[in-house]
Parts: sequence; structure tokens; C-alpha cells
Amino acid sequence: MRILLNTKAETIPDDLAEEPLLFVLRDHFGLNGPKFGCGVGSCGACTVVVDGEAQRSCLLPAGSLDGKAILTLEGLSAGAKLHPFQQSWIAESVPQCGYCQNGQIMTAYALLAARPEAGADDIAEAMDGVLCRCGTQARIHKAIIRAQAMMREER
Amino acid sequence: MADLSRRRFLKALGWSAAGITVVAGGATFALIPVLPPRNRSTPSDAAAWISLRPGGRFRLLSTRVEMGQGISIGLRQVAAGELGIELDHIDLELPDTALIPVARSTVGSDAMRETGPLVAQAAAALRSAILNKAAERLGRPVSALEIVADGVSDGIASLLTFEALASGPPLLVKAEDVGTARPRLMERRDGHSAVGRPIPTHDIEAIVTGNRPLYADDIRLDGMVFGAVVRPRTIGGQIRSVDASAASVVPGYVGLYREGDFVGIVATRRGALAQALDLLSIDEDNGPPNATADVDTMLDVADAGQMEHVMLDEGEAGRGPFDIDITLSVPLAAHASIEPRTAIARFVDGGLEIWTGTQDPFFVRDTLAAAFGLSREAVRVHAMRIGGGFGARTIVAAELEAARLARLCGRPVKVQWSRRDEFQAGFHRPPSCHRIRAAADGTGRILRWHHMFRSGHVIFTSAAMGPGLQFATSFVPDPGVGRGAIPPYRADATHVAFEDVRLPVKTGPWRGLGAAANHWAMETAIDALARVKGLDPLAMRLAALPPEHKRLKAVLEEVADMAGWSDRPGSGEERMGLACGIYKDMSYAAAIARVIRTDGGYKVARLWCAHDCGLVINPDQVRAQIEGNLVWGIGMALREALAIDGGAITPENFFDYAVPVLSDVPDIDIRLVEGSAAPTGAGETAIVCATAAITNAVAAITGETVMRLPVSVA
Repeated sequence: MRILLNTKAETIPDDLAEEPLLFVLRDHFGLNGPKFGCGVGSCGACTVVVDGEAQRSCLLPAGSLDGKAILTLEGLSAGAKLHPFQQSWIAESVPQCGYCQNGQIMTAYALLAARPEAGADDIAEAMDGVLCRCGTQARIHKAIIRAQAMMREER
Repeated sequence: MADLSRRRFLKALGWSAAGITVVAGGATFALIPVLPPRNRSTPSDAAAWISLRPGGRFRLLSTRVEMGQGISIGLRQVAAGELGIELDHIDLELPDTALIPVARSTVGSDAMRETGPLVAQAAAALRSAILNKAAERLGRPVSALEIVADGVSDGIASLLTFEALASGPPLLVKAEDVGTARPRLMERRDGHSAVGRPIPTHDIEAIVTGNRPLYADDIRLDGMVFGAVVRPRTIGGQIRSVDASAASVVPGYVGLYREGDFVGIVATRRGALAQALDLLSIDEDNGPPNATADVDTMLDVADAGQMEHVMLDEGEAGRGPFDIDITLSVPLAAHASIEPRTAIARFVDGGLEIWTGTQDPFFVRDTLAAAFGLSREAVRVHAMRIGGGFGARTIVAAELEAARLARLCGRPVKVQWSRRDEFQAGFHRPPSCHRIRAAADGTGRILRWHHMFRSGHVIFTSAAMGPGLQFATSFVPDPGVGRGAIPPYRADATHVAFEDVRLPVKTGPWRGLGAAANHWAMETAIDALARVKGLDPLAMRLAALPPEHKRLKAVLEEVADMAGWSDRPGSGEERMGLACGIYKDMSYAAAIARVIRTDGGYKVARLWCAHDCGLVINPDQVRAQIEGNLVWGIGMALREALAIDGGAITPENFFDYAVPVLSDVPDIDIRLVEGSAAPTGAGETAIVCATAAITNAVAAITGETVMRLPVSVA
């Protein structure tokens, strides 16, 4: 399978076709961003963006990804410059344990990429399925609003 | 066995009947209790924690793990403040058992209280050592020198950089100098110190970019394979035999390993591991088919007589009637950390190396040393950042499994629990049942307070204690169960007593331990009493608090001011509830919740909290802890209960177990009060008031006391 991983052309070996994308990203490509939380798509910690859409990478067999563009947390920043989402996450001091934040950031990124003017209801609908046990929800909400404002200015 | 001989048995194990004082040295896995007691760190330990290294970087070795509670950034701030340098000169390393003297576990919201002042002392000693060395090199008196951002200065010009000072061997600290050092931490709040500054969590850049390994799962070793434990389906069940013939054809399958009751499986890839696990044909004996209702029956105190452990019995009870007599139930609940337990084990050169997110690296080290017949020094534990602790990582579990499989298959092994393992093989917050009877006069003076409760175990958990220790401790009050059950309120007569019940489900420490449930019960009862007496819940509390609890009074008055309590609506579908509490006689919090009844259930519309954990090292991280506790209160009040059916925990994933989500969490207002000159703890404080503030608001809407958690239907 040939994929675009964070804008770079990569090949997934054929013998990994049945392996969930999450494990291919973590164990074959050595990425740390996407996390294992449940393995059945119930928490969102493994979220990556596939062809512009937030997807739970624990549910996607690698064999289904031929020709797709995959964006992970690692691919958000351009060189040393952090993406507005990453900057906002730091400015609002969102993470506690930090383990779920990959899923929070990637889900919010996909939401605003698709709907730059997403409102409170859209945000709740997209983010309610991405669990955070530390209780950072109020800060996640503020960080999304902040990133939205930054991205509006950049446009 | 008679009481006396049981006492002797306990004594032989190094436990006293009055409580835990010493750990049973050299005991095996099954015999070591959770949260094994260990001596506090000393100034001589602290001398090993901090140094100036070649290159001019400061190194601070933390004894406490990072699980999002913010201790790492807090300790860096303490050290930087004391040294008078910028934070980014200090590299902090998480606990590594090969680098630091034996230290306590990261529990009980004690990390800053116990280690903050010692880090300050050690940093102060290092400050003197640097100035002395600089004075020697420059031939100037120490009194003429000071530490500035990049080195030592005479107040006019920078004379020696840290890099120049650190050429040669690292600049270390002597134990005796730490003991006599006089840190400036407590007196100096001039705005220039790193102490008191709001700063995000340690390693935040790595968290939001994924650019380097932080958590156990980010560790990848050469030749590493993946392992899982084949577990019985039910609690108390036993695996008779396993047929792996279908599994063994899965590409990547390595083998099935059996050793006594232990059955494990190994594969080269995680997808293959999951597939092979599914294809095993397992013959097993099931444990007793208990359900939630059976556990509830074991705990029911509604008609119970005297409880075994009397915590407090004082004053003349008199014979008048009680104004309230309520029975309150708290269900089993999960930690539900998003990161599942994960450990990597590698046997190398006669030793064992482990990477894991544990709250107690030395417990892991000693347990594994005993299990594999190694010296403690031959086992090295690297504590990785934990993806949510909350008390769950206090036992040794995935670490032992990974090491066992590593030994059996001869390769480094990573064991990562499945979500199903987390729910079904982990331990949980014990369910409890409370009967509170109380009477007051028309002015709100409490005449009688009578609280008896039953709970599953917390400290004496069956998740870490074998039948021997369970039996030995069976008449010792579990200190985790009783935590926080003595009411702060003055009454003419107070009786508090409990029993811990050995339940057919594993229970143990969960954020706040008994204090979370006990406070919910007490704060529910005091509100019910106020309601019966027609008194304002705030006025009733303030009147009943004795002078020694003036810090609790202060946060109550503060939060009432923040929320506009005196102007709150007196009727309708949107009401306020109030609660307060003290955690471990050190930290104080009061919360107010505004709750709305909707067609879809109750919604928390706003939360206010006033909080006093003494000197605040990092207000941003303290606020984060308070926010987390308040969200856990939402979970306790409105969402969480872990069901048991057919002898097994029912949920297998988060579809089956509700935790609070983004739209459950309202705007949160927090005020920090600094009621003492030393820092205490914030990790488990606000949970003592968050839950009852919400359910008391629900009770204000319905006019009926909430008797059972969680409140589900409007």
C-alpha cells in the first residue's frame, strides 16, 4: 500500500495489510502522536486525519488505505513553527496527563478544516466523542475558539 | 482464628493492628499490600536529587511520577525559584530507581507537600555550593557574589557562567548542607521568582507535537514482541485449558505460555496478537455469578446494628428523635484512565529493566526482584509519564506480566492492557452504603450526628493482597475506607462507624479514596437537615463549623460570594447547590453548582469553587487539578456506575461506561486562597465537595434528597 504520510510518500508492507493503521503508525513508522486507548473506536485517542476526515486509526485496516493521505499530530507543524492548534493548546495550558490530547487536537483540526466557522454546537458534536478523563474539557473548548480566531486572522 | 493470634500474624508481617507502620520486607507479590508504607525522604536523600552538570545544565531528579497533576513543573519552579535562575536551565528527570534513593509512591496528593520543601532545601544548598566554588575560583568573598540568569555575577558584570563552573565533575550537594540550608521559598514572593507563576505542564510541547517519547507505549526496543494475558472471563474463574491450534497459524504468532495459573500469549505485531487471542479456544471454570444487586445486598446498612470500626463516639446522644434518617448509595466506579496499563520488560546481563507508567516505581522494583529472585539493584524501573493515574497505578500488574512473558519467550516484551482488561481485570472504586441520622434545633445547632457505613476495601485491596493478608487485616479498619468520614461540623453528640466488606470484585484506591464518597454522604445529609429545618444550607454550615476550621469557613464564604449565593433563585428548574470539605486535614474546598433540569436529564450549567491548598507554587496547575476534580464530581453525580453481571464486570469499552464529555462541562470559576505558608495538595481536594454541590442542586429542584449515585433520570 502506498500512502502519503504527513505529506511524504511512504509504503506500508503488504504483510501489514490486516494490521490496524494505529499499530502501523506507532510500531512500523515509530510515531508517538496517535495513542491506543480502547481499540474499538470508543475514546478517540488514536484519531488521525485521512483525506481530510477525522478517523479512528484503531479501526482502519492498513490495507484499506492505499492511495490515501494521512495526517497525524506530527504532521501538523511546519518545521519549527507550531500549528495554531498546537499554539492554542499551549496558550490555554490544556493538557494534564496529555494522553488524549492527540485525539482532541486532530478531531478539532478536522472539524475546523471542514467548517472554519463551526459554532458551539458543532464543537460539542465533534468533541463529545473524544474522551478526556483528566477533565480538561473547558480548556479544550477555549483552545478551539482561540485556534479558530488565529486561523481566521491567517486567512 | 482468635483475634489475638490474628494480631500476632499481623505483627509478624510487620503491620500493627492500629494501622500500617512498616512494610513486610522481602514479601512476595501476593503478600505486599497496595500503597506499602515507606519512610519520608530526608535531606540526605534530597542531596542526590539536584546537581549542576557539565555543559552548565541543572539536573533535578524527581521522586514523584508525572500523571498530569503537575508535580514536575512545580518542582522545577521550586528549584528555579530557590536558585534564582530561569526554569529552562533545569532538566527534570522522572523517577528512575537506579538514580534516586528509595522514595514514597505518588499518592495522596502529597508530592508537593512532602518533596517541595526538600527540593527547596537541596536547591538552596546547591546555591551556596555554586557561590562558594565561584568565590574560590575568583578569589572574591562569597558575600560579593550572586547568582544571575546565566551564572555568577558581582552585581555589575557576569563573571563565571554555569558552564564554566560545571567544567569537570558535576557540582553536587552534601547531605549535611541540605539539612542546614534555609530556603527562601516561603518568604520570597516578589514576582521575579518562578514560584507562584502560572505555567503549563512539563513536556507540553512533546504532548502537542508527538516529537519524542513520553509514555510507556512510546518505548520501542530491538527485538521487542507484544504480549497479553489470557484471563478468565469471570471474577474468581479459572482457566482449565487453552487450545492455540487455530491461533498458531496467524502470521506473527510467537507462542502461548503457561506457568501455574498464568497463561500468556505473544506475537510480533499487535494486530496479530489481538487476532490470535480471539482464536484461542478456552476451557474455563466460572466464578460465582454475582451481579450488582448481590454486592448492594452485602453493603446494605439500612437495618444494620453496630458497625465494627468506631471512628468517633463522643458527646451525650440523648433520646430525642432524629430529623433525618437517610440511606445513601455510591456505586462501583472505574478509574477509566485513557492510557491503559502498559509495561515493557527486558532481561539483560542478569538484570531486569522495566519501563512503565506506575505511581510506585520502587514497589514495582521490589515486587519484580522478589518474583524473579533478583537483587533489588538488579531491577531498574524507568517511570514514564502516566496517561492518567487516579490511584489505578498503585499495584504491580502489567509490569509483572511483561517480565514473566519476557522470561518465558526470551525476548523483550511489551504488555499493554486492552480496554476490556482495564475494566474487567483492574480494580475499582468500592461501592459504599451510608446511613446518616441527624437532629438539629431550630437555630441549626446540630444535636446528634450518627453515620454508619459499609464499603469495599481501599488500601487492603484484593487486587494486591493474597488471601493470607486479606485474612490478617480482616479486623483492622481499612484507613482508605474511613478517610474523610469525620464531619467538620460540631454536634452535641457524634458517632461515626464503619465496616469494610470483602466484596467479590476488586476494589482499591480511586481519586480521593473514601473521602470522595464519605463527603458526598455527609454533605448530602447536612443539606437534608437544613431543608427539614427550613434553614439556609450555607448559614447552617457556617454556624456548625468550629473555630479550628476557619479555613473551611473562608472558602465557603468565598464561593458564596463568587456565585451570588444569597441572590440565588428560590424555585424553578434551575437551582444552586452547595457543598464543602477538607482533604486529609490539609486542604479545603467549597463548591457551588448551578444545575438545570431538562427533558434530557440534569445539566450542570456553571460551577464555582474556592480552594485553599496553602502556598500555590503554580496557580495554573492548581486550577487544572481543581477543574479535574470538579469534572470528576460531574461524573460521580450524573454519569458513572460500573455494572456487574454473571460474575464479571459488564463494560468492555467506553461505549458501555459513561464518563463526562465536553458538553457535560460548564464554565468553571475558581478562586485560590492561600491559607498557609507551606504548600499542601490539590490532586484530590475539590472532589470532596464537587459531587454533593451538584446533587444538592438537584435536590433543590426536586425537593427530595438524592439517595443514590449517579442521578440518572430527571
